[in-house]
Amino acid sequence: MADPPSFRRHPHPFSIDLIRWLPCSSSSSSDRLLAAAVHDPAAPSSSSSHLHLLPLHDPSSPLAALPLPSRAASLRCSPSVLAAATSSGSLHLLPSSLDAAGSAGVSVPAGAGFHVGPVRGLDCGGGGEEWVTAGEDGRVHVVGGGGDGRVVARRLWDGKGMAGYEAARWASAAEFATGGAGCGVQWWDRRKGDAVVAQCKGVWGRGIVTGMVHSIDIHPSRKHICVVGGSSGTIFAWDLRWPQQPIPLSGLGLNGTAQPVSESEVWEVLFDNYTQSTDIISSASTRILPVMMCSEDGILAVVEQDERPLELLAEPCAINSFDIDPENPSDVVCALEWESIGVLTRGRDTMAEE
Amino acid sequence: MPGMLMDGGGAIVPFSGEPGHAVAAAPPVRNIRHGVAPPISRVYVSFSSGNLLQVACLRPPNPEGGGDRGAEEVSGGRVVEVNLGGGGSGPGGADAEEIDEAEMRRIEYGSVPAFALLQSRKNALVDGSGMSRLPSVSEHAEWWQYVLEYSKTIGSLLGNPDSLSAYMIDDPKMILKVKEKPTSLKAAWELLEIFFVDKQLQTWLPERLVDWLADYDSLLTKTENTIYRTLINFQKKLINLQVVEDDPDYWSGLSAALSVGWLDIVVNMLRFHGSYQLDQMDSRETENGLVEAVAVLVSTMPRMRPDLPSGKLGQCCKTRPDFIKALEKWRGQVSKLECSAFWIQCGHQKTRDGLKSLLHIMLGNIKNLTASTSHWLELFASHLLYIRPFTVGFEGMHQLAQKCIQLKPSADNSGLTGLLTGILSENREVVLAECTKNFGPWMVTHAMELLTADNDYADMMLHEERPNFGGISIEELHRLVYAQVLCSHALTWQIAPTYLSSCLNQGLGLLEILLLKQPIQDNRVVLKTLEICRLYELENVSTNIMKIAGIYHWKHGRKGTGVYWFQQANDKVRLDRIAQQLFEHIGKSVTDDSFKQWEGLLELLGSDIGSAGGLEFLHRYRDFKRSLQMAQEGRTGESVRQTVEFLIQLMRNPSTPQRFWLPLLHDSVRLLNCKPCPLLNVAETTLLLNKLQELSLAKLRPDFSNIHLPSHALNSVRLALASNLARAILEEP
Repeated sequence: MADPPSFRRHPHPFSIDLIRWLPCSSSSSSDRLLAAAVHDPAAPSSSSSHLHLLPLHDPSSPLAALPLPSRAASLRCSPSVLAAATSSGSLHLLPSSLDAAGSAGVSVPAGAGFHVGPVRGLDCGGGGEEWVTAGEDGRVHVVGGGGDGRVVARRLWDGKGMAGYEAARWASAAEFATGGAGCGVQWWDRRKGDAVVAQCKGVWGRGIVTGMVHSIDIHPSRKHICVVGGSSGTIFAWDLRWPQQPIPLSGLGLNGTAQPVSESEVWEVLFDNYTQSTDIISSASTRILPVMMCSEDGILAVVEQDERPLELLAEPCAINSFDIDPENPSDVVCALEWESIGVLTRGRDTMAEE
Repeated sequence: MPGMLMDGGGAIVPFSGEPGHAVAAAPPVRNIRHGVAPPISRVYVSFSSGNLLQVACLRPPNPEGGGDRGAEEVSGGRVVEVNLGGGGSGPGGADAEEIDEAEMRRIEYGSVPAFALLQSRKNALVDGSGMSRLPSVSEHAEWWQYVLEYSKTIGSLLGNPDSLSAYMIDDPKMILKVKEKPTSLKAAWELLEIFFVDKQLQTWLPERLVDWLADYDSLLTKTENTIYRTLINFQKKLINLQVVEDDPDYWSGLSAALSVGWLDIVVNMLRFHGSYQLDQMDSRETENGLVEAVAVLVSTMPRMRPDLPSGKLGQCCKTRPDFIKALEKWRGQVSKLECSAFWIQCGHQKTRDGLKSLLHIMLGNIKNLTASTSHWLELFASHLLYIRPFTVGFEGMHQLAQKCIQLKPSADNSGLTGLLTGILSENREVVLAECTKNFGPWMVTHAMELLTADNDYADMMLHEERPNFGGISIEELHRLVYAQVLCSHALTWQIAPTYLSSCLNQGLGLLEILLLKQPIQDNRVVLKTLEICRLYELENVSTNIMKIAGIYHWKHGRKGTGVYWFQQANDKVRLDRIAQQLFEHIGKSVTDDSFKQWEGLLELLGSDIGSAGGLEFLHRYRDFKRSLQMAQEGRTGESVRQTVEFLIQLMRNPSTPQRFWLPLLHDSVRLLNCKPCPLLNVAETTLLLNKLQELSLAKLRPDFSNIHLPSHALNSVRLALASNLARAILEEP
């Protein structure tokens, strides 16, 4: 008998744009913590955006609220740092531990020296703890620690507005991927100069030639494959070994895929370690691992190559963001558009029911 | 006919309050501190967003002009922003404090699926029956059940009184169980459901109203006394009382609770009597017996209802004959106890009088009932329980209500009592007016479905298209008002389309206006807007929005995003214009720096959009420039040959603009001069020379656009080509 999945919805008095799990070490108690980027349009614009640290057992009661100068556009966690990039173009690195929540983090202010406009591409990785930022202004930076404790933002690329980036993800110590509006996905390798070494337009639904990339994920054990989510319900995988042949996983009107799991914007995609592939024999290196996605039309689902999607949630409102607990992958937390946080606990043997 | 429209052409007359009041209550006055010294010549008022009101106070202009130094320093006026509190999207008036904005938004969100589902069922019903207003009997019989399901779903959003009871620890001195704080919105919604939707309640409507009063007695009035308030006050007093039965409030509370049928509270309070104490039981045996006898009678009172909630007392009678028989038997027991000889032996005077008063209430003594109740609605409930339990129909209840109002006039007419009066008088217009005045647009919009659940007149009244409303119905008018309230908030505007799409006349028009007004600075908001366009098939609106977004990003220097939006909109006009601009820009200067800036744009534009062949030229031109750069770096001999091939292809192609001929040739001069052997054969060289001659002739025309190249460019190209021609002729066999 399979354990049924349980879903709880917790109201929140603000708009929740992004949500992430914090590491276990963030809290001295055994309770897990969540980080949520919230926005209150009724407040004055200088104080309408915050990062909330929320306990899992009662996500409606924030334990701490860290102010941001403008609305958060991206949110990431490393083992010790909580990073948020804003819609005005600044980057804020805060300690992710609750005990140190009061101490001030470091910031890279928006402006000509960094980004102007939303920075939706943000990821931690690289050699040391380095943050890659990719903004809608077409700039790409790598932000790392200087020797004296300050952060230094080094500009890798300035597209001068010819490209607008919406997503970024590290693949290895030197490689990362970006995606944006109309320009598909780009692969960067810092060992080969500061330029794109490969790119892919992608396969897009609804019969259009291009779309907007919203999210990229790269599995740590297969760094040459990235999965991309974007507009028109589009999810495709890109294998660097075959750069001109992206693999469609889902999308409206795309041939070769199962029924599209969503017809709307796919906001986030993540490889799902919890879902075991139903076909163990053919799990060769060419097979794309299961991918979880959330969408503007309220779908949270797991998508597999050549398989029928497994729909976990179908909400009447958008799901803005979600995160899989890296330490307990059965738990998924998502930010619902109608000012609430959803906590989904998947039962064991979920795939066995299918 | 009740509820007949007045003769004034169908105009709705607003309900102005209780019949006894000649003048309606004055609207609330709010003082605004603007900080502008008098005199003030002009005041401008306008709504900003949500609950924010902008008030501009201007002083008169000084006739002395700028000559006076003092006049220059005086401020010309001031604009202040006033937050109207919960008046924006929540229920208006004093009830706004019950529900804060976040909670109201949660109610608004949760109402959308239920509302959309009911509209979907209504549309399916209309399509299936083929008759828009007269569905068949069987379908109509099922319709109220759909509405009841809708009503239960929305009612659960307004609060769940039972949600906390499972966690309460029994307190021996607790009279009133702690519940989730009731709200007027929930109380009003339940009233409408009881009277208009739930057909299963028709046989025991009085009992259901008594249940409703038990939940919401605390909301009847803000300023006057209620039974709930009486009991709350006594409960606070109870902790310090040594001899409970000596306190007059104890007996007043018992009478009050019994009169409105709160039997469990009465029995619980009776057990507080001192005769139950272990140290007094022997000496007060008769007294305790009397108290216990009354408690047993109270707990076995007949109730004409299908069931009793857990914790409630009484004896259920499902049918009227059963109820009559049980009531007669029970009343006989009460009378028998009242005439008992044991009262002489009861030594405690207050106990004797108090218990007899309870017996009189149970026998339906109107004087005791009137004395025990505080509010007319409480008196109304007591009559339903003890005097006229067989009151049926709205007319009977309405007459009884009028009588109770006369006995206990109330100056503080809260929304709930006005609503109930309107319901009992079977006046849908009054019900609508009360909902509008006291509960706000959310209530009106969602309650209209309850009013029309089983009432053809209400259906006609609400759905009739009215000329004085611009041809729309009352229902559509209220939905439009509610949608505009939703539109005024940055978080709730996205659910307004659900209500606008259900307005057949003006809904889609307002929806288009709403979507076009959304800001295009944020790509996320643009995508949200486009998603709504997709759901409601507003392709023209989405195309316009994408064009506007494209122009915005293009003008702000984000050319890539701008081109993206133009492509999504299939905006060939603007993409062509961009291509032309690109042509002209490249034509002006061929330096590598400026060309590199446009290379990304060229990549974005692709090859299948724009003028036929035009962008194809730009791609070939880019390939030519790349190859030329490699050739000049001296990497391979193959790149030199390839560059020449590109050059010939470009010059042959009719789509190559004429203004690019000379730059192309001039770029190649160094290449042609630095090689000992000719790069072009005789035919190729002749082709280029002919182009050059054609260009020279074009210079004589007035419309020729001058190319910014050195004056010797033409001669150097001609010399290079002639030299190549000579060597080519010598080379050929």
